[in-house]
Amino acid sequence: MSAAERWDGGADERRRQAHVPAWRWIWLGPWLATMLVPFAWMLAISLAPAAGGSLSRALTTPWSLANYRALFATAHLGTYLVNSAVVALAVVTLNVLTAAMVGYVLGRRRVGGERFWTLGIVATLMLPKQVLMIPLYLVIARLHLLDTYAALILPFAVDAFSIFLVRQYVLGLPAELEEAARVDGASDVAIFVRIVLPLMRPVLAVVAIQSFLANWNSFLYPLILVDSDRLRTLPVGLALLSQTEHSVDWGFLMAGSALASLPVLAAFLAFQRHILSGVLAGSEK
Amino acid sequence: MMRSRRRAGAFALACLAILGGAALSCGRAPSTEVVFWEFWPAEIVQPLLDRFEHEHPGVHVRLEQLTWQSGQEKIAAAVGADHVPDLCEVGSTWMPRLLAGGKLAEWTSSVEDLRPELRGWSLCSIGDHAYGLPWVMGTRALFYNKTLFAKAGLDSTKPPETWDDLYAAAEAIQKLGGGVHGYGVQAGERYILFKKFMPFAWGNGGRILSDDQTAAVFDSPQNLAALEFYLKLRDVGLIEHQDELDRQFKDGRLGLEISGAWLFKSIPRDAPRLRYGVALVPRPDLEHGTHASFAGGEVLVGFKAAKQQAAALQLARFLVRADNALALSIAAKGVQPAAVAADTAAYYREHPAEQVMIQQFETAVPTPNHPAWGDMEAAIEDEIEQALLGKKTPRQALSDANQKLAQLVAKP
Amino acid sequence: MSRRVHSRATSWLLLAPWVVAFAVFGLYPFAFSLGASFTDYSPIHEGAPHFVGFANYAAALADPAFWSSLGTTAVFVVGSIPFTTALALALALAVQPAFRGRTLFRVGFFLPSVVSVVVLSLVFKGLYAADGTLNALLGALHLPTPSWLLDPHTALPAIMAMDVWSASGYYMVIFLAGLEAIPRELYEAAHLEGAGRWDAFAHITLPLLRPTLLFVLVVNTVRSLQIFAEVFVMTRGGPLHATTTVVYYLYEQAFYRFNLGYASAVAYLLFAVTLLLAWAQMKLVGRPTEGAA
Repeated sequence: MSAAERWDGGADERRRQAHVPAWRWIWLGPWLATMLVPFAWMLAISLAPAAGGSLSRALTTPWSLANYRALFATAHLGTYLVNSAVVALAVVTLNVLTAAMVGYVLGRRRVGGERFWTLGIVATLMLPKQVLMIPLYLVIARLHLLDTYAALILPFAVDAFSIFLVRQYVLGLPAELEEAARVDGASDVAIFVRIVLPLMRPVLAVVAIQSFLANWNSFLYPLILVDSDRLRTLPVGLALLSQTEHSVDWGFLMAGSALASLPVLAAFLAFQRHILSGVLAGSEK
Repeated sequence: MMRSRRRAGAFALACLAILGGAALSCGRAPSTEVVFWEFWPAEIVQPLLDRFEHEHPGVHVRLEQLTWQSGQEKIAAAVGADHVPDLCEVGSTWMPRLLAGGKLAEWTSSVEDLRPELRGWSLCSIGDHAYGLPWVMGTRALFYNKTLFAKAGLDSTKPPETWDDLYAAAEAIQKLGGGVHGYGVQAGERYILFKKFMPFAWGNGGRILSDDQTAAVFDSPQNLAALEFYLKLRDVGLIEHQDELDRQFKDGRLGLEISGAWLFKSIPRDAPRLRYGVALVPRPDLEHGTHASFAGGEVLVGFKAAKQQAAALQLARFLVRADNALALSIAAKGVQPAAVAADTAAYYREHPAEQVMIQQFETAVPTPNHPAWGDMEAAIEDEIEQALLGKKTPRQALSDANQKLAQLVAKP
Repeated sequence: MSRRVHSRATSWLLLAPWVVAFAVFGLYPFAFSLGASFTDYSPIHEGAPHFVGFANYAAALADPAFWSSLGTTAVFVVGSIPFTTALALALALAVQPAFRGRTLFRVGFFLPSVVSVVVLSLVFKGLYAADGTLNALLGALHLPTPSWLLDPHTALPAIMAMDVWSASGYYMVIFLAGLEAIPRELYEAAHLEGAGRWDAFAHITLPLLRPTLLFVLVVNTVRSLQIFAEVFVMTRGGPLHATTTVVYYLYEQAFYRFNLGYASAVAYLLFAVTLLLAWAQMKLVGRPTEGAA
């Protein structure tokens, strides 16, 4: 049962499935429609500047791109975008690498008390950030990292969620390829890089997606760990521009959110292919 | 293999970003740099700061804008780590706790001369000791829809003055039907209900605590009458969250609601064709009570742990000056200056609706400066909400609230 | 023997990133919070905090508001997780095979996760309004149209429904990855032996999906126990505390009363509950599969 036999490029699959789709659309279609309703609402609001947050007025007043124009005319939008991008790229890369490393070790039970380690790592997710944020702030302050890129990247470089995800995936991966390579005398590092990593492609794609998503929309920590405008990220910038104490500039906020969601959608589209096509590459030695 | 090379490249880029960011943060410091945290948009505040720097050469102000969402978390974290700004804008609702905490800089002697010029000293003082300067104030008034008034056969130039007027107007508009409601009753949201109900209680002469803040006097006949009236308004109105009430008002489907000056900014933007007016909160009747309302505001404070104490105070004194506070208020629209001199500014003569807010200040009541105020407000809101949703009688609600308040007042 | 030693060294090397990151950024906040829970620490208070022993824990356990919030959270978790999990799995199974328009469905179901929770909650607050879009649709179908977020009976279910709706697409993606790890020829072999779709699902898919299923259950439980942003934006814990979850309760203590010591105690009580639940789930669902040779 080699990896190569696992995946035939989906050709058989497609042949088999070609005649099925009809009933799928019947129950998936309406559910998909419900997914789209809130976004249709958001888009409508963002395109109707004189309507405030009211859908009824949005549908009856003239539409225009005024909110989007105001968005792009915003002085520091470029800065916010760049900051979000740099931080997200760094965090995603680090997350993928460290999750692969740590998740592999745990999934292959390579350390004593592995279950305990896993529970411990998952336990770090169990304290809410409302309580953790002040001591984390203290740590960052003591390390003199407040108001730097490092503050936005380093505390989030290693992510328990991703590690746990990889560990679960690795548990389900047959170990023959690794065993065979070890018998052949390959070093641990070589095995990890040349055999294991390619096999983990689907789950690493998911790690990349969810890590990018979590980081791109992250608000609380970028707000408190960074003071200067030049290091501000997009969600904080958007909140500054569209929210006052008692009211929300709906049109602007929806336009900004629509814009902010495009990179995540792009990342999803880019990575979701890899959820499927990962396994073939690992069969070559 | 190409994939791992790409990954290595991305990793290197990440490392460079980290190092670069760390390097960038070691900037040069000018002669005196005052770090100022505030909530208003930078383009509104920056001109004021430029003027300040012009009047005080050698002082540079570094402005860092806070978001309303989670802004107090940021301030709490900064104060906890003593990584405080030199000058900070703080909302009046957070002040009681901050005052009790003891980390605010005391400015009493340095601001004696400003006493007669500003209102709202109770927001930032313990007794006669001042720990900040009131910058801008906010209150609540009655907003009404002139078009609906006309449709209901009411005189749109004569907004309701008394409780009976208010009820009658709301009733008439409610009868119009077709998705239109008379009075907007706010419910379901903490920290807001209080500001919508208490004006009626205060207007009727009711109080929460005794003047020396040692006893709870919430369970009074005046407050009972106010609560019973407030509950009557449900019959001629709509119960909703505040922002939904504002939205319906802008849609032209709500005749009357108590709301704040933020509408002056959002109505021109969201509903430019709405014909509306502003009036003082109605009083019980023409012989008794006052047009009371809630008084809150934004305060400028300094911290004991801040680096630039003197310059921060200078900046604060500059910002609360009538002309500067007025510039902010005109641009931001949601507030009015704490400086009394600004009341007679030409701007307010030209904008009668905003003038009403200024007038409303005269009879607006600030909340007690008790350290346990947060819990007290929560207790009051819980009980009023129970009555509003029909779970308790007004009498029971007031009695239970008073019991909770009595316990909280007794704590040190 | 040298290979085994080398192997262990590599193991620790691979484990190192987590150990270092935790030591620097995780241990201190956790230890600090634990320590704070035994004091009257408040970030805005001058002077050192005072040790109060178990007073915070006792106060929490004696506070009906705490128990009410715990109950609300329990309802939320028990009431939403089965639906989210089942729906996510059903969606993953439906969009896993290749068919035209599959990507559209994948993107569509994932869409709610793409926007920030706060913005999504703001949107839903509008949709759930008494005369909002949802009630407009329900009214057209002659169904009841309560004021969803203002009625203490419907507020929490409304938020739960939104959570199930938005989270299902997110976990669908995770199930997709898990489904991919299942060898194709197992299905082919079963097909040859005449097994039907349901048999294939019950005897191949479900067992081999166990690690992924455990992940989704544990992670979703941990996340749901900490639900906050949706409540904060949509109802502020109301009406009548119907939607006050444990984290909302401790947030008010931490940032309106600035009682961080007390909030930390509440957080650790929640931590204990979460740890127990996760451990139970790992024991019940998380037995190793027979995939590993």
